[in-house]
Amino acid sequence: MAKNLNGDLSIASANRLVDGVVVFLDDAGQWTERFERAALARGERQGEILLERARAEAFGVIDPYLVAVSEDDDGTFEPLSLRERIRASGLTFNAIAADAVRYA
Amino acid sequence: MPDTHFYRYDSYDRTLVAERVEQFRDQVRRRLTGELTEEQFKPLRLTNGLYLQLHAYMLRIAIPYGTLSSRQLRKLADIARKYDRGYGHFTTRQNLQLNWIKLEDAPDALAELAEVDMHAMQTSGNVIRNVTADHFAGAAVDEIEDPRIWCEIVRQWSTLHPEFSFLPRKFKIAVTGSPNDRAAVRVHDIGLRLWRNPAGEVGFEVIVGGGLGRTPMIGKTVREFLPRNELLAYLEAVLRVYNRYGRRDNLYKARIKILVHEIGVERMREEVEAEYEAAKGGPLGLPDETIEAIARQFAPPGLPERPAIVPAVEALRLEDRDFALWLKANVSPHRKPGYAIVTASLKPAGAPPGDASAAQMEGVADVADAYGQGEIRVSHEQNLVFPHVAIADLPAVWRALTVLGFAEANVGKITDIIACPGLDYCALANARSIPVAQRISTHFAELARQHDIGDLKIKISGCINACGHHHVGHIGILGVDKNGVELYQISLGGDVDFGKTALGAILGPAVDADKVVEAVDALVATYLDTREPGERFVDTCRRIGAKPFKDRVYGTVH
Amino acid sequence: MALFTEAATPSVLIALPYADWRLRPQWPAVALANTDPVEKLAPHLGELRLITLHFPKFSDGRAYSQARLLRGRLGYEGELRAVGNVLQDQLPFMLRCGFDAFESEQKGFGEALAKARTLFSVVYQPTEDGRATASLLRRTQDGAAL
Repeated sequence: MAKNLNGDLSIASANRLVDGVVVFLDDAGQWTERFERAALARGERQGEILLERARAEAFGVIDPYLVAVSEDDDGTFEPLSLRERIRASGLTFNAIAADAVRYA
Repeated sequence: MPDTHFYRYDSYDRTLVAERVEQFRDQVRRRLTGELTEEQFKPLRLTNGLYLQLHAYMLRIAIPYGTLSSRQLRKLADIARKYDRGYGHFTTRQNLQLNWIKLEDAPDALAELAEVDMHAMQTSGNVIRNVTADHFAGAAVDEIEDPRIWCEIVRQWSTLHPEFSFLPRKFKIAVTGSPNDRAAVRVHDIGLRLWRNPAGEVGFEVIVGGGLGRTPMIGKTVREFLPRNELLAYLEAVLRVYNRYGRRDNLYKARIKILVHEIGVERMREEVEAEYEAAKGGPLGLPDETIEAIARQFAPPGLPERPAIVPAVEALRLEDRDFALWLKANVSPHRKPGYAIVTASLKPAGAPPGDASAAQMEGVADVADAYGQGEIRVSHEQNLVFPHVAIADLPAVWRALTVLGFAEANVGKITDIIACPGLDYCALANARSIPVAQRISTHFAELARQHDIGDLKIKISGCINACGHHHVGHIGILGVDKNGVELYQISLGGDVDFGKTALGAILGPAVDADKVVEAVDALVATYLDTREPGERFVDTCRRIGAKPFKDRVYGTVH
Repeated sequence: MALFTEAATPSVLIALPYADWRLRPQWPAVALANTDPVEKLAPHLGELRLITLHFPKFSDGRAYSQARLLRGRLGYEGELRAVGNVLQDQLPFMLRCGFDAFESEQKGFGEALAKARTLFSVVYQPTEDGRATASLLRRTQDGAAL
């Protein structure tokens, strides 16, 4: 059951400059393609700090921003908005080429 | 290089493309080192066709006037394989989109495109975009003059135009060579309609300020008849007025249609005509010699005489229902007896509309070489066209397309859906469009039923920018976002064919994603119940109005 | 803010903003906003030695039209200087529209200016720079079969 739907949980995301791939800022301040490794900010203040950190690490990515997420009991999280869910997980249908899905 | 029957690049054209690629290569290098900021770089990459979507960069490759040689199509397949994920999407503006291009690879991909005289210049950004034409140009029975001649003339004039590279917003031009406008000229920033005046001269009706999107508008005629030699001088006048006076304060009010709306067509005409008067007689005049030199390159292929009645074709039509339906839906008359125009449907049931894999592209190129004079066209409806096929070769073409998966007999029918990429790909979208198209297409897949329903154009857009042209669909579907939920607004009675341009009327409240198919079913049922003999869906809409449709849809759907 | 020109030294005149200049039109230098009507300068173009045209953002292209009108229709021959958000990647366009001086704070602008005219050896459109277009060259080629 998803909790924290009021948007005070966030992660930082951007598109990588060199290839446009969706990336997330992890706890070490590195950009990762693995959504589940994204650093989680709880509350507005932590969110601001996370965004500042993302902007400080912005060389090599385009326009980092915060994505609101909700958290499950088991600690997994997913974006609140459909757009961000699609960004994180790829196409919602089978494109003609089988490897078009984000995680092959 | 095999003979093509459209404009062939000379050394000037090739040099310009090559120099542009090298300029871009250096700009990419400077971006990757951080010397250029994203803000500074963005218009540079947009005007080289590179557009950032949700998951990756998309490269939008220009296919001028939707015309390709088989060699060019093979190269597109190559590039899709080498630099992308092995497939591409043909768009409503006759371009090809590759969705997974890397910025660091883009200069190399563009250099390879340049080898076959292709490019991605000005397919994005606030510049004059790919000039589109009728996809049956050069082959259609009702044509006055081949519009592609003019698309090429305008293409050259507009490429790297130093004055118009930072317009208030994008600028789209379309040309039709026939009274039956298949290029949707009245919903473009400038629409040009070739016609012959009573004195027998060929010239243009110049229509300005049409467009779909947030504020759909039908273009207004600014000039009834413009002698053809004056085209570029006149276009430069329109663009200069737009560049000077188009709004730059509000992204959503920056198209020329807003300027025309705000100052009125009379004032627009005054401004344009004054500017044109001052420029007339200058170096933008087109000598007949220049026009003829380009026109010659579009001269139709010398097609060998082939029989107009072919017993084998007739026999197959009688014995094979699928072939018969395919002939009926996907094959159109050609101006030369013994020939036909074949549309390859890129809308197999349940598939993303308008997509082709690299293998399929190569297969289409093979068919074009064997039976189609080596030429392919891209329609506005996300299908591919072979403009010159001998009637005697139709069975072979049909079989070859069947193997490729492009022989569904649904051209112009309910499953020949036009859909934008939508929220699966596009950062601007509010809702997905491809899965909706897939569900509708699967639901109505049965061919006999589709042919009974007849001509019906469904057009789906994932947001108000209307890249799916939903405003001019017989059934238009617009994806919207309400509190994070995808909803779909349905409109009825839009049209952009046969010289008519009408915007659809919204039927009622937006419906849930899982109710869209039901709603379309209800619309179709209403039509089937009330139609008169010979009436198409859109004709019945016009005759009986929206109410019976609305009642049926909202009776079944909440 | 550095000044760049290709050849001779840039003008040192102070350009008056258009509204002020209109009160003193004998002053030979004027600074136009990109919404100012260039046509109004016509009676004074013989005396003007410097006109600056403004790019509030590099993406605002109104000054390109102003430049072409000044050089072309109005026949201005003095220094035409681009000021504001002036970046090297727009130099090929600016040069073709008739700018011959630039005020820019972008690193490497001078080097870029030196190379800008050589980036494109082919042009399609006629402008006031007098370069022969591809179309013209095709017509004058001997025995050219297109």
